[in-house]
Amino acid sequence: MNLLDSSIIEREIIPYLSPAIKSILHNAQANFYDGLEEIRLRVQKPLVLKIGDIDFTVNANGRITSNLEQGYIITEEDILRTIATISDNSLYAFEEEIKQGFITIPGGHRVGLAGQVIVDGYDIKTIKDFSGICLRVARERKGCASSLLKKVWNKKGQVNSTLIISPPRCGKTTILRDLARLLSTGSSEYSPQNVVIVDERSELAGSYRGVSQLDVGIRTDVLDSCPKALGMIMAIRSLSPQIIITDEIGHEKDVEAIYECANAGVAVITTIHARNIEELKARPLINNLIEMGLFNIGIVLSRRKGPGTVEEIVKWGANIVV
Amino acid sequence: MIGIALVIGGFGLWGLLGAKRIEKRVKQLKNLRLAIGFLEKEITYNYTPLTHAMERTYNFSPKPINIIFNECASLLRDKDGITGDEAWSKAIRKSAHHLDLKPEDLDLILTASNQLGMSDVNEQRKFFVFIQQELKIQEDKAVEDVTSNQKLWSYGGFILGLIVVILII
Repeated sequence: MNLLDSSIIEREIIPYLSPAIKSILHNAQANFYDGLEEIRLRVQKPLVLKIGDIDFTVNANGRITSNLEQGYIITEEDILRTIATISDNSLYAFEEEIKQGFITIPGGHRVGLAGQVIVDGYDIKTIKDFSGICLRVARERKGCASSLLKKVWNKKGQVNSTLIISPPRCGKTTILRDLARLLSTGSSEYSPQNVVIVDERSELAGSYRGVSQLDVGIRTDVLDSCPKALGMIMAIRSLSPQIIITDEIGHEKDVEAIYECANAGVAVITTIHARNIEELKARPLINNLIEMGLFNIGIVLSRRKGPGTVEEIVKWGANIVV
Repeated sequence: MIGIALVIGGFGLWGLLGAKRIEKRVKQLKNLRLAIGFLEKEITYNYTPLTHAMERTYNFSPKPINIIFNECASLLRDKDGITGDEAWSKAIRKSAHHLDLKPEDLDLILTASNQLGMSDVNEQRKFFVFIQQELKIQEDKAVEDVTSNQKLWSYGGFILGLIVVILII
């Protein structure tokens, strides 16, 4: 994978941090930000920068070290000021996002929130008294799914319904986003497709105030913050997609919606958390989907050679031409 | 004779300006209450982000009250880790000399800064309703002030000038 341009971090992420953290990070070596995946702020704990699989921290002088005990200790004020800037001092304008536990900032970067969760019955009403922030850097790796394109298209010139299988942090969202871009844009080899992304957690398109911040292709419509099952049905009725792309299926309603998509002749490309095919098939709901032939291929990812390592591609369904 | 006229005229003018200030305070309290009502609607109905809501309230409100909202929007636009309540308090302090409000009026609108923008719509609404009710009470008191004190200031200046002249002579 390419290294993340550190200027994106400096331009799109650091300005949102509290003045104290901002000043420390401005003093740090910028090239260290290449490959930065997460910035974690927890009250009374050291500032943590997750780069690859290693946690680093920055001390008060801007020196980057893997010894977390030497790191700058986050204060309540840091959290308050960071949240104030991220939300433009307008938490009321992000009520729905806060209920889901995150806010997306321009650039499509996701800010996860921790604090006291207020519930109303079984529903989350809001989060208050924030104690932690997880700033996850949105990665756009144009071309990372190019090698998978010929597997996603079958010999009949149709797009296979595809299930991308991987544990968290293996690059499945990044690959899914690039697949959306490639399928929607088309090429001399592959005809362009109408794509709908049902982006329940605003991660795929990284929408900010409804506008996609990441390149998901020119023929792609995004249903942002929309529950997957509802979004898939809505898309079939109103947006005439050839492909529906969504992230992290797993509920019964998702399965029903995928069935509806198959009946409507719409290909579904989605992801699921599992380490391998065996683990996947141990889940009856998903196993049924595969046995019903609703998915044509499965792509297993890992981090063995870095995020997005393709471990295995399996073909399902007797009548499927892959 | 010229000196006497100048002393009486000076004190008289000071009294007239005081009377005018009492009248202006009523108007400014009313405009401030309406502006806060507009801001409340921007926040609770339109979910407009605070910076933009302040800019819109600035455009909606008459001078000199709108200066507060412009100052606040400008501080928030800098995105320098400033919180809504800090921006609001700074804006009031910076605008105070343009206004004819009493310190107690300024103290009241300073309480509006508490949690400004940093809670859900229901909490924001409760707070704005409270501020508007308190401003209405201040406005009523200011109207009473006009009827009871305006004449006192208008004539009082000249009378005081006259007393000073008599004492000097």
